[in-house]
Amino acid sequence: MSGIKILLITGVIFFAVYFFVRLRNSLFDLLLLSLLMATAVIFILFPELTNNLANSLGVGRGADLVFYTSILLFWFVILKLYSRLRKLEQIISTLIRKDALNNKDNTL
Amino acid sequence: MPYLSNDKIFIIIPVYNENAGLLQRIIYDLLENSYSVVLVDDASTEPVSPGVHERVFHLRHLVNLGQGAALQTGIEFALSRGADYLVTFDADGQHAHNDIPALLQPLKEGVADIAFASRFMEQGHHNATTRRRLLLKLACRVNYLFTGIKLTDAHNGLRALTGKAASKIVLKENRMAHATEFLFLIKKEGLRLKEVPARVIYTEYSRSKGQSGFSSIRIVFDLFLHKLFE
Repeated sequence: MSGIKILLITGVIFFAVYFFVRLRNSLFDLLLLSLLMATAVIFILFPELTNNLANSLGVGRGADLVFYTSILLFWFVILKLYSRLRKLEQIISTLIRKDALNNKDNTL
Repeated sequence: MPYLSNDKIFIIIPVYNENAGLLQRIIYDLLENSYSVVLVDDASTEPVSPGVHERVFHLRHLVNLGQGAALQTGIEFALSRGADYLVTFDADGQHAHNDIPALLQPLKEGVADIAFASRFMEQGHHNATTRRRLLLKLACRVNYLFTGIKLTDAHNGLRALTGKAASKIVLKENRMAHATEFLFLIKKEGLRLKEVPARVIYTEYSRSKGQSGFSSIRIVFDLFLHKLFE
């Protein structure tokens, strides 16, 4: 096993442990996480597999396929984060508004 | 000037770090015309102290949220006080209080639910620079693109609403995108909109308080997110 493989697999294991400890809330999450981690490890151990997959999808190299799918994934994550942010902002606004309406004064 | 019964007309002024003397003068002029004034201080560094008056209501946000949020707070307050008509008014002195009656007229006649002031209509007046004028014209186009409503002016802070229309307007855009969100809501709620010519006089001060051209990028971005998530 080459150095980079050990490095990457250690990284995946670290993440896996962190998430398992942190987010053991639902079975579905655990399954999804295990599946993702397993795929990551398989692709790290046998990178040729990504090449085969890429070729069958019409992409030159496996690394390129991983790159393209990551971009898509990041877009999705960014959108999700923005939607969360907006929700948070609306909650805060509601609170601040309530406070302002309750503490109105015209007797300064 | 019809004096009595104007106290059910609430003038909502979002305030953020404004010139105290100028603000005082604006409030004085509005009180002269027997309007009720709602100041929404959006967490100015120096809290606003408008002085005692039974028709001046002073609300303060604990943290800065933006002009859209301040307007929404003012609208909710005015409605809780049984406002017949609501007018949004800028705190930087660019609007003229004697444009308000003309703005309210279509609402009182029952031909519109919301009236927007327009500086670019024939009898309107403004002293905007060419650059600002072009930017606002571009904003009109963007608004048309987003909402399908064709207007002659955009981002004019002077508007009038009937109480009934205001109760249907719930602004979620905290910052400047609320100007277009108004149009979304007008369309969604099937409200009748009318543009009325009015003056907008920029001063050195109002220019320093106003939006820079760059903030339009932020506005379009916020609109995009609004369309995506709301």
